[in-house]
Amino acid sequence: MDGGPGADRAGRPAGGGDERGGLKEAVDGRGAAAARRVPGAEGRAGKFPGPSLIGPLKAIQRQHGWLPREELVRLSRETRRPLYEIQGLVSFYPHFRTEAPPKVEVACCHDLACWLNGGEERIRVIRDRYADDPEVEVREVSCLGRCDAVPAVSVGDEPAASGVEELVETARAGSPERAPAKRGTEPRPNDPYAPGEERYRVLRRALAGELPAERIIAELTDSRLRGMGGAGFPTGKKWEIVAGEQTQPKYAICNADESEPGTFKDRQCLAEQPHLVLEGLLLGMLVTGAEQGWVFIRHEYGPEERVLESELDAVREAGLLGSDVLGSGRRLDLEIFTSPGGYILGEESALLECLEGHRGEPRNKPPFPGNHGLWGKPTLINSVETFAHVPVILERGAEWWREQGANGATGLKLFAVSGHVERPGVYCVPLGTTARELIELAGGVKDGAELAAFQPGGASSNFLSPDDLDVPLDFDSLPKAGSMLGSGALVVIAAGTDLLAAATNVLRFFRDESCGKCVPCRVGSHKAHEILTELLARGEGTEAVDERIFELEETLRMTSICGLGQVALGPVRSVVELERGRAPA
Amino acid sequence: MATTAPVAAQTETVTLTIDGRELRVPRGTTIWEAARQAGIEVPALCHDERYDPVGVCRTCVVDVGARVHAASCVRACEEGMEVRTSTPELERQRATLVKLLLADQPPPERDPKQTTTADNELLAMADGYGVSRGDGIPLGSGRGEDDSHPVIAVNHDACILCDRCVRACDDIQANDVIGRSRKGHAARISFDLEDPMGESSCVTCGECVAACPTGALVNKPIREVPIRPRSELDQVDTVCPYCGVGCALTYHVDRDRNAIAFAEGREQPGSRRRLCVKGRYGFDYASNPQRLTVPLIRREGSYPKGALSSDVRGDGRGRRKPGGVVDYDEVMPHFREASWEEALDLAATRLKGIHSEHGPGAIAGFGSAKCSNEEAYLFQKLIRAGFGTNNVDHCTRLCHASSVAALLEGVGSGAVTTTYGDIVNADVAILAGTNTTSNHPVAASFFKQARRRGTKLIVVDTRRVGIADHADIFCRIKPGTDVAFYNGVMHEVIRRDLVDREFIADRVTNYAKLAKVVRDYPPERAGQICGVGPDVIREIGRLWGEAGAGIIFWGMGISQHTTGTDNSRCLIAMCSITGNVGRPGTGLHPLRGQNNVQGASDAGLIPMVFPDYQKVDNPELRAKFERAWDRELDPEPGLTVTEIVASALHGGVRGMYMVGENPFLSDPNVNKVRKALAALEFLVVEDIFLTETAEFADVVLPAASYMEKEGTYTNTDRRVQLGRKVLDPPGEARPDWEIIQDLANRIGLPMDYASPREVFEELEALMPSYHGLSYDNLGATGKLYPNDDPEHSDGTVVMFTEAFPTDDGKAHLRPPEWMPAKELPDDEYPFVLNTGRLLQHWHTGTMTRRSYALDAIEPAAAVWIHPDDAAELGIGDGEFARVSSRRGSIELAARISHRETRGNCFIPFHFREAAANLLTIDEIDPYGKIPEYKFCAVRIEPARFPVGTEAG
Repeated sequence: MDGGPGADRAGRPAGGGDERGGLKEAVDGRGAAAARRVPGAEGRAGKFPGPSLIGPLKAIQRQHGWLPREELVRLSRETRRPLYEIQGLVSFYPHFRTEAPPKVEVACCHDLACWLNGGEERIRVIRDRYADDPEVEVREVSCLGRCDAVPAVSVGDEPAASGVEELVETARAGSPERAPAKRGTEPRPNDPYAPGEERYRVLRRALAGELPAERIIAELTDSRLRGMGGAGFPTGKKWEIVAGEQTQPKYAICNADESEPGTFKDRQCLAEQPHLVLEGLLLGMLVTGAEQGWVFIRHEYGPEERVLESELDAVREAGLLGSDVLGSGRRLDLEIFTSPGGYILGEESALLECLEGHRGEPRNKPPFPGNHGLWGKPTLINSVETFAHVPVILERGAEWWREQGANGATGLKLFAVSGHVERPGVYCVPLGTTARELIELAGGVKDGAELAAFQPGGASSNFLSPDDLDVPLDFDSLPKAGSMLGSGALVVIAAGTDLLAAATNVLRFFRDESCGKCVPCRVGSHKAHEILTELLARGEGTEAVDERIFELEETLRMTSICGLGQVALGPVRSVVELERGRAPA
Repeated sequence: MATTAPVAAQTETVTLTIDGRELRVPRGTTIWEAARQAGIEVPALCHDERYDPVGVCRTCVVDVGARVHAASCVRACEEGMEVRTSTPELERQRATLVKLLLADQPPPERDPKQTTTADNELLAMADGYGVSRGDGIPLGSGRGEDDSHPVIAVNHDACILCDRCVRACDDIQANDVIGRSRKGHAARISFDLEDPMGESSCVTCGECVAACPTGALVNKPIREVPIRPRSELDQVDTVCPYCGVGCALTYHVDRDRNAIAFAEGREQPGSRRRLCVKGRYGFDYASNPQRLTVPLIRREGSYPKGALSSDVRGDGRGRRKPGGVVDYDEVMPHFREASWEEALDLAATRLKGIHSEHGPGAIAGFGSAKCSNEEAYLFQKLIRAGFGTNNVDHCTRLCHASSVAALLEGVGSGAVTTTYGDIVNADVAILAGTNTTSNHPVAASFFKQARRRGTKLIVVDTRRVGIADHADIFCRIKPGTDVAFYNGVMHEVIRRDLVDREFIADRVTNYAKLAKVVRDYPPERAGQICGVGPDVIREIGRLWGEAGAGIIFWGMGISQHTTGTDNSRCLIAMCSITGNVGRPGTGLHPLRGQNNVQGASDAGLIPMVFPDYQKVDNPELRAKFERAWDRELDPEPGLTVTEIVASALHGGVRGMYMVGENPFLSDPNVNKVRKALAALEFLVVEDIFLTETAEFADVVLPAASYMEKEGTYTNTDRRVQLGRKVLDPPGEARPDWEIIQDLANRIGLPMDYASPREVFEELEALMPSYHGLSYDNLGATGKLYPNDDPEHSDGTVVMFTEAFPTDDGKAHLRPPEWMPAKELPDDEYPFVLNTGRLLQHWHTGTMTRRSYALDAIEPAAAVWIHPDDAAELGIGDGEFARVSSRRGSIELAARISHRETRGNCFIPFHFREAAANLLTIDEIDPYGKIPEYKFCAVRIEPARFPVGTEAG
């Protein structure tokens, strides 16, 4: 923003254009000019320019355990930033607290995968157990990303698959246990490195000039790799867009903020393949010309973050970070940014807002991050899994990758399987594998029950019926069947489950995680949930779902700013249609 | 970010179709704008042209043929785009959005907006879609109401989270109080840390109320005048009666009650619809029951003259009513009501008597910067032509006399060289000794905005004033060291060779002398005097010297010193040596205090000059006025305000006519003023309330207030605007111009003006600067002078583009040496006292303390002290302190504030019960004759009892 001394007057963003005495008139709203500079960039209502206050707030909370008012007032005074901005952040991000915390905090997930597996009962038991314990606070929270160890509970932010009582006691004693990341033993087929082999080979080749940016982009484009975070944008194309931007600096971000119920495959990827994630991200930075990168990770992934941190240390030690990496003349810096909380931050523009220090509210798009991202600069954002697939593609070639697919699809895919299955977990299988095959791989429906329905792409995907079991799980086949691949999270629901209640559970998740920025999502998700909850309380089912819900579903889908609002009522509509025997639209 | 991109963007266009119509628009135009230009209205609740779009209400969504609809308010037009703004599907979705919002609203019959101004935009939209609250959607948000603010009601249920108030507070006014807090359906607007609005840092500018489309933020009725739909009220377009910024506004008048229901900002090139708390909420003083309604004559038994109330006598301990205004119960019995005839006859006879017995020099007049140009003109004409003396002055003496003295000497004109809004064109702006957020709040909003758009803001002050929070560099100097500071900065500018040689050669004289003087102020020495690090002075010197366009605004922190003229001389030199005058974004702007202090000075309420600064001792000019007024005029400059007071003490001035001035509170060293006023043989006070000064009057004349008359007013920008009659005057109160005219006729100076318009025509003919202006061409938004073509042009923004109006056309530098203040702190009086104003109050509080809102927000006097000083003194926040100087002592509440500097304290001068001017020193600047209000030595001690409770 330096319009400093000697700056060309003509360069000052022209406002108004109203000439009086040869002068530009003052224009209301500094952003008016900004909006004109970048068509479609929205105003920065309530967002203050300047360095992020999220870091300082985290520091205060680390010091006090919470955020005392005097500290916030002091922060405001010292940074010359408005109190409202601080309040906006503190009250938006669940990580921040404005009251002294209890000695032990037990968080119980109440979302779909946990709900399907006795979550409500477990929460009741835990609540009863600590009802009279003044040192323990039991809270219901949104999905903890541990849908394979249900119902998920965490104690003091550390996952506690079992043994809640022991963890509570160690936490009470002041030495909370730090859980290790859950890791598989088998190497995944998307890892080009044999155990013990020196890693980051591809990156080294790129740094040495053996793999020019154009070739990497061509290879990725050729491989038909698409974004694995849910939207499925062609990866090669995205890298090409960011690489083609002339604006400097550029940034790169690994989105490790998966938070949708049923979705935990990135968590496993981080735990088992941190070297692939970082290598992919560093390659992305090399190709696009970014010098600073971040891994934006959800705060519930403490164990995985620790794995990542030690991998980052290893990368640093290997000389792969710094101002002149391996003599390539390139500067590469990476940092881990721990999310202050909230599912919405997985939405890439909300994530950017958070990194900039604002409330994590998604932006109106376009412009897209590739052109106008972090602080308005071109920004490459891919998910954990997308980055993790890059090294193997560059090592073995696009053709090899394409051949890994099944049923006409290309490449490999990490699927998280949860719900009513025998062996919930993360499976790396060919893209295009059918749901039937995947469920079999996961040991079949729990207790041999009949399948009632499944969501192939996480909580936001429409429910499919058992008739759709042989639809290949890929980008093209699932939309034809009325759903989507989404993040690759297969949620299995056994017969005997109230599907409308399940869909309402999903809706509650979206309602709770709505940022509140736009009307349809903020009010619509809330009102729809009220209508459905009342209906269920009356013992009614899908037959009683009326036009209001369909009207709301359409309005949310068509008018919400971001994906959250757009899909919030989709699952509800899909179970109604499924139960009414109609083919989902 | 200063690239050439915007220029390119203006030339590039895109072609698209909207509702089948092919349009070609500049790239970057939003669909909403493009549609609007084509006459297609797209609904919107969160959008307003004044604000940057945020796209949150979604009612403006349009079909662009994509998977989802696009918010047209924020989506830019793209080449080949096919847009449909209205389809059954879109209308259905918009109706659903409206239904959703309605469900959380209070019922229309209880909606705060619908039951007042009746223009709730959401309800209007609902009517359009034929939907109503509760159409199948469960009701209620449960966010509740907030009634904590005296004049603004907050109803969170009625809030639709459109963020308009957020943008109004932040982007427009830059007050930064309102934001969004929480998330999801619990999201709400909130003030500071979700504090009640009345307890927040809100400065009550009311911009949020003006922005709110629903009943979430509405005005509360003031003095039980109900707020009704606009159509039921009369709209009067006029100008704010308070500060020199002169914001345009509209009063919505309830004719049944002869009262203003509410005020709104009005579009004008300067103020652009903005107002501050005084303008928007301080309008009810005129309806205060304490208004004077009949002429008053002092009763025989109330002589010999002296103060009538215990407060003004100075034995205020026994005050029956602590705080507030003059105690009418105590004072009024000393006066009897009289007819206008009797009162005017008495006044004329006595003044004439003194005049004939003691000569013209025994008469003096104080005019007012609150009266119109016409009244100022008539008043000085009365004194000059009627009494043959130039003893006529007004409160400009107390605010910018030194600035004007320096400007007249340096650049040949006392007015600003450019407007406050011109800051937008500046690279660097220096705000010197000006607490603008309090004293010129709307101008301050433009300063803050400019800074956010890239202008570097340098604030130099002894206190951490509000605007310092927005500064790129805040430089806290020791009180009374301005000359050393600016000499240090100029030293650095010259050392770095950042002077504008061409400008100096062509347009400046005496540069060599300046360079010689400032050579002795290297940053090390200057910094030591000012208490500022030399690096800061160097940095400011560099920034100022390198600025393509630099501008300086200043206030009383510069002028109200015994070195006030020297301080201003430094600023003139700062601009002159860098060529920062005469171009957009450059110049000298002393921010004028009162609504018409510029106009009153222009009109000749100054003892040395006739109207338009034409010197009384210039025979040619005097001859011109003698011809015009048909009287022989006094060739000697008259006495100034401060000199008149001193003269009265020694039997010089014996008879006075005071219009709207209250020297008892506004002049320094009140104890001396008290003696002077009591010593006058005859005093006529003309005012709208019985002031402290009126306690000494022989005759009190009830004037119509600003609200009750017509006239022109000139703001700090040189904008001459028409003030229109809003209300009928109470009782027998009459406009000042009529009273002056009647008095003139009684002393043998015939006047026969039918209206202020006729007065204006006369003064325009005598004032070259006002040439061409007339009541007919001032229009709704007034005109800047000088103005070659008032029919078509707004007037001159930037003055002196080619030459200065001095004898040789050049700026005359007069480099000063630093001199310390007159009364330095010592062991007995260890603190430096600084006096000034508060946002909510104005002048001696006669109007603002009688305004409900302003009095409710700031009801009491206080002394601001640094936390460490307070701790050392053992005084807690809100506890009472006694502050004493060699001249007097007052007791008032202490406010502990990070804005003060150690060893300094601040007391606003509005409060009679703890009159700051009891403490101030009456030393004056030798050129501007302005008192040193900003510096005297005081002692602070804890006071055991608050004022008014201690037994007398």
